[in-house]
Amino acid sequence: MTDDRFDELMRDAAQTYNRPPDAPLDEMWGAVERTAWDAAPTARAPLFSMRAPGWAIAATLIVGIGLGRASLMLNRATPAQATIQTPSVVSTVASVRADSSAAEPYEAETSRYLGQTAALLIALPSEVRAGRADDQFVARAGELLTRTRLLLDSPAANDPSMRSLLDDLELVLAQVVRLQNNGTSRTELDLINRALEQRDVIPRLRTAVADNSAN
Amino acid sequence: MTKSVVALQSSYRVSEPDLIARVVAGDRIAARELYDAHASRVFRLAFRLTGDADLAREFTQDTFVRAFSQLSRFRGDAALSTWLHRITVTVVANAMRKVKRFRERETDLEDVHPIGSEGPGVDPVLRERLHRAIDALPDIYRTTVIMHDIEGYTHTEIAEVLGVAEGTCKSRLSQARAQLRATLADLAPEFES
Repeated sequence: MTDDRFDELMRDAAQTYNRPPDAPLDEMWGAVERTAWDAAPTARAPLFSMRAPGWAIAATLIVGIGLGRASLMLNRATPAQATIQTPSVVSTVASVRADSSAAEPYEAETSRYLGQTAALLIALPSEVRAGRADDQFVARAGELLTRTRLLLDSPAANDPSMRSLLDDLELVLAQVVRLQNNGTSRTELDLINRALEQRDVIPRLRTAVADNSAN
Repeated sequence: MTKSVVALQSSYRVSEPDLIARVVAGDRIAARELYDAHASRVFRLAFRLTGDADLAREFTQDTFVRAFSQLSRFRGDAALSTWLHRITVTVVANAMRKVKRFRERETDLEDVHPIGSEGPGVDPVLRERLHRAIDALPDIYRTTVIMHDIEGYTHTEIAEVLGVAEGTCKSRLSQARAQLRATLADLAPEFES
């Protein structure tokens, strides 16, 4: 009896607990497509175009992860150890070092991401006040949110200060994305502004942009 | 790209491994087909875990972006759906920690989980209490209850998605149910065992 009643309750929960609405399949696919390919959603669009920034972002991040791991391994070798490397290892090290210019796409992507995020967040208050936080603005925030998460999985997040900044940007961008359905209410904007102020996000972002540009 | 365009261009059905190979080779039409086959279930799971349509949408998108970028590493040891749901659970778990941190600053969360209208035979107070009790479960128990009792996954599927032994999964479900019954005991004393 007891078990029956509990089972009945759980069956009810299957119908009522966080009951999902219909999945917005086309809308979600649009976002996936923009992020993964960033190309116009037309049937004639080139598949996985390497010119598409979204794909380039993923590619450069993958390159970055590889290079980051390679440089970590290199950094672990002390100078004394380096002098007793076998010729094959030395040549590998030399070739990786000689190819350090290959890290540039990854750094460039981080730099580009920081600049674009700074531009979006600085524009946010005036956009919202002017009632211009339109779909395009929010979609841009959504793309930056996904790139934030990709960067969090990349060597860029090995630096604790960068990880902390990316964590906070993820939080703020997620709130901006939520403006799309919740509307640009005073409360929502206040929450975003409070998050920005409490964590000094804009000044830290500006510093990171300047540091990255200097590098 | 609309579904109709995909339908027109996908004039034949291919097996999932072939579809995966085509996506890895850069076929966006195949990617959409794969997405259409799995997105609804991923969204359902994300919504059950978050109770928020915006978050569920965002996490579903993240799941597929990550899946497409890592698909070449999918070796087919488990079903693709299992692999996708594993990404979903990971994405949701990681992101919800931050969402909860943010929501702690908000004051009024009473309306986060509206109660559905179905199940007229159940006392609404008891139902509401059960929903809150599920919300309050530790994540590993909550995920197991939601996947098994709410979404109908088998223990084998859950074990594969969560990367635990089937026995662990059964044990977690048992623990979770015991906690739920204990929470409901004052409203329904017969649940006390």
